[in-house]
Amino acid sequence: MKELEMIEIWKSYDKKLEENLVLNRKNTEDITRIKVQSFISSMKPIKIFTIVIGLLWVVFVDTLIINLFSIASPFFLISAGIQVLLTKLAIGIYLYQMILIHQVDISAPIVAVQEKIARLKSSTIWVTRLLFLQLPVWTTFYWNESMLENGNAWLYALQIIITGSFTYLAIWLFFNIRYENKDKKWFRLIFNGKEWNPVITSMELLSQIKEYRDETKSENSSR
Amino acid sequence: MSLKRDAQTFLTVIEANKGIIYKIANSYCKNSEHRKDLIQEIILQLWLSFHHYDEKFKLTTWMYRIALNVSISFYRKENSRDQISQPLSDGILHLYEAENTGELDAEVDRLHRFIKELKEMDRAIMLLYLEENSQQEIAEILGLTVTNIATKISRIKLQLKQKFSNVKT
Repeated sequence: MKELEMIEIWKSYDKKLEENLVLNRKNTEDITRIKVQSFISSMKPIKIFTIVIGLLWVVFVDTLIINLFSIASPFFLISAGIQVLLTKLAIGIYLYQMILIHQVDISAPIVAVQEKIARLKSSTIWVTRLLFLQLPVWTTFYWNESMLENGNAWLYALQIIITGSFTYLAIWLFFNIRYENKDKKWFRLIFNGKEWNPVITSMELLSQIKEYRDETKSENSSR
Repeated sequence: MSLKRDAQTFLTVIEANKGIIYKIANSYCKNSEHRKDLIQEIILQLWLSFHHYDEKFKLTTWMYRIALNVSISFYRKENSRDQISQPLSDGILHLYEAENTGELDAEVDRLHRFIKELKEMDRAIMLLYLEENSQQEIAEILGLTVTNIATKISRIKLQLKQKFSNVKT
């Protein structure tokens, strides 16, 4: 197959399209009357909704911590503190996504636009990592001094096993939920379902873009 | 002379460049029903962006950027917005069955199949190359350097040639 042959094949396809492709002008005209926002902006409402819910939760937990500071057990204060801190970080990711949505100009060069869209989608994975990271605090917040003083060896052992395994799992997932592991069984199990497909695809796109960027960098440095 | 930004001018622009839209949508979407949606989405995004079109770029550069950006991002569609609020029952672009030209048609199908097997970004480069855009134009559409594009094109061409020769042997 010569290079010219490939272009000739494409030209014959082009000719066929020229002769047989018909535009439905009425339907095209109808599109110019449709009131709808750009497909990137259409992602805004759900992000805003999540940020609002997140902020309400943060205000609620922060109020609890401040008001109960002098009477609550240190277990509750530390657990709630960690949980609310992680929620704030997740809200930060959603705000970052809102900035990306605002920055995307669909008529800009492809690599830059795709990088922003892929970052936007794949950053959702960060929210999941943070979500898992807060697992252990849900096993400690209800503890208090009296349980500590009056508990028996079995209770301590059970608590240590539960909190220890949740902590191990949370940290392990935090560090292992990444694109390189996308084909592992456990990854497929967690991110199973149609709603995760765009996230995985965007991660794949990001790695393609990274390759392109790396090639440009090495090309510049070899000059 | 500057381009008028009304619906009639837009229709003329789309009519003149309908092939670009069809070829890109066809290369990124295998399913014919989804392809209809993709074509509709591309034309909608072109219309939404038409008022901001910067005339310092060629009209085709602007079209290629939007059509490719929408097509590459179309994987989002599965669970993003539930389509345009008023989907059009009939398609916008219709390809009538043409007379089969035998071997040449088989070659076209093969080329299509091989292009669809390329990664999304490589596919964009190859489409622009087959459309006989200059390396400078391709670099402008993608936002990469000309040298980078030249390297990529020769690598992808080699890949395709290999696929063709595998079929023939």
